[in-house]
Amino acid sequence: MDTTGAGALIKALEDVGCEVIFGMPGGAILPAYDPLLDSVKIRHVLVRHEQGAGHAAQGYASATGRVGVCMATSGPGATNLVTPLADAYMDSVPIVAVTGQVARSVIGTDAFQEADIRSITLPITKHSFQVTDPADIPAAITEAFAIAAEGRPGPVLVDLPKDVQSAPVRYVPAAPGNRTPHPVVSPVQVRKAAQLVATSRRPVFYVGGGVIRSGAAHALLKLATRTGIPVVTTLMARGAFPDSHPQHLGMPGMHGTVPAVAALQRADLLIALGTRFDDRVTGSLPHFAPDAAVVHADIDPAEISKNRLADVPIVGDCHDVITALNAVVTTIPDLTPWWDYLNGLRTTYPLGYDWPADGALAPQYVIERLSTLAGPEAIYTSGVGQHQMWAAQYVKYERPGSFINSGGLGTMGFAVPAAMGAQVGAPDRTVWAIDGDGCFQMTNQELVTCAIEGIPIKVAIINNGNLGMVRQWQTLFYEGRYSNTRLHTHNRVPDFVKLAEALGCAGFRCTDRSDVDGVITEAMTVRDRPVVVDFVVGQDAQVWPMVAAGTGNDEIMAARGIRPLFDEE
Amino acid sequence: MNRHSLSLSLRNDPGALARVVVLFASRGVVVESLSLDPTERAGVSRLDVVLALPPDRPVTQLVKQLGRLYDVELAIEVRSQAA
Repeated sequence: MDTTGAGALIKALEDVGCEVIFGMPGGAILPAYDPLLDSVKIRHVLVRHEQGAGHAAQGYASATGRVGVCMATSGPGATNLVTPLADAYMDSVPIVAVTGQVARSVIGTDAFQEADIRSITLPITKHSFQVTDPADIPAAITEAFAIAAEGRPGPVLVDLPKDVQSAPVRYVPAAPGNRTPHPVVSPVQVRKAAQLVATSRRPVFYVGGGVIRSGAAHALLKLATRTGIPVVTTLMARGAFPDSHPQHLGMPGMHGTVPAVAALQRADLLIALGTRFDDRVTGSLPHFAPDAAVVHADIDPAEISKNRLADVPIVGDCHDVITALNAVVTTIPDLTPWWDYLNGLRTTYPLGYDWPADGALAPQYVIERLSTLAGPEAIYTSGVGQHQMWAAQYVKYERPGSFINSGGLGTMGFAVPAAMGAQVGAPDRTVWAIDGDGCFQMTNQELVTCAIEGIPIKVAIINNGNLGMVRQWQTLFYEGRYSNTRLHTHNRVPDFVKLAEALGCAGFRCTDRSDVDGVITEAMTVRDRPVVVDFVVGQDAQVWPMVAAGTGNDEIMAARGIRPLFDEE
Repeated sequence: MNRHSLSLSLRNDPGALARVVVLFASRGVVVESLSLDPTERAGVSRLDVVLALPPDRPVTQLVKQLGRLYDVELAIEVRSQAA
């Protein structure tokens, strides 16, 4: 088929199964947008800011398990994708970013809208291509999709000079190529792991996002149920194991539950699956899980023994590893004393919160009710901060992929565009973005995209009038000196209801406990456009439990000044 | 600091060397010497590098991080010595 580089690009994207591109045109990517107009297989969603395109591609990828695609022009269009690329790199999200570049003849001359996006993104992409021959475009796209999805998923950049897009070329579909198969799971290591399980007395499954990415949630449920071993799910793994399951102790880490943190600290065996011993989970490393032997399974060998030495390293896809463990773990220790201890903590230190003394709405209550009324079949996204932690703590997740948030990079403003992408990928599900008033002001322009493109997401702004998590740290560690954390959103600047309406959405406000259920129910009945609910909540609510940064997990505070593990010694 | 000598087989793609060097920079590796030479295989270069790492940073971790770069066909540790 005789075409152009741009035609080959669109045909190659169709051939690898791309069904939607989130993007925005501009000078250097103009040729690619021309054949896109004729594509019947690919929907293009015109965003209002390229960052929104990148996070939408992430939301789509996380909701569907497929590769998300975003597109932007050269220079500022490409640099606006830097944050989503870094985010996808940290959280192992498979996305492909296609960027325009200035023509080959002027690369390196500081041409208009020239930026060396390949070099800029070197440390935050899994791989990148700059295609200089139009005949190479199909192979670059096929490779980019394969690299993004295989092994540990991640972002891949494809940079296309404008004249390469315009050049005539004959379209030849790229060969699928020899992709790296999953590493074969070592049976010797799996047997060693099984032996450690058999002789342990206080084992725990420490479950990370890899279990979701590899589609291993069902296999984990089987293994956990059969062995009776306690389970904790990290921020990236919320939903990998049902919250309703009696063996689930919740989320570990800085804002984890007391029983989940205690399970890691008091364990004699950690079975770490698809997780990377992040500092937000481990706290001070020398004080983390001091008595535990470690079985660490991950598809990325570079993560094993990075932060904590593994006694039994297992390189492999989590689904393969868990299936192998299921076949060989036969001897199961008596866990009664271990469960007695953990259940005691569960009874004494359940998640809980106080109502603000001034009669304001409790943010945790809003999220609890949202979880109850929207249910486990909905998809929840969040930004970053207090509302994110409450969304992790108080929404009851029952299935993988139902919580999409920015864990590693901690990108404020992630919720709205990620919800947009998730809704495009899962049109039959209700998608709730749980957002903060600070985060919402960073990316709410994508609500225009949602309104115009018919993407009916719902946004719950947990509006505490402040950059809440920063304010919490100022309360705890800076003697209540609130430097630059007040956002004035409680003074209705901006007025989120009016803003929502201006952006083409339905807007509601809720300030009183008695209205919470009614407003959520009403928001759920709006299906023809996006909905924004401004939940005006108290500004002093804090996220508990908490392990202060840099301290050991034993110093977890169930509430300010209450250290259940420290005091039990 | 401990001194390590690594040898890499690197695909001759544009940006391949930059990716390796950026990894050294972003992971806090001190590079003492670095040499890139052609091999008998077309399209593949050999990169020899001598670097320094603090004693608590195992070189195996760095070798694995290099190994996951797509343009790195092979990364091996040739020798190490405590400095």
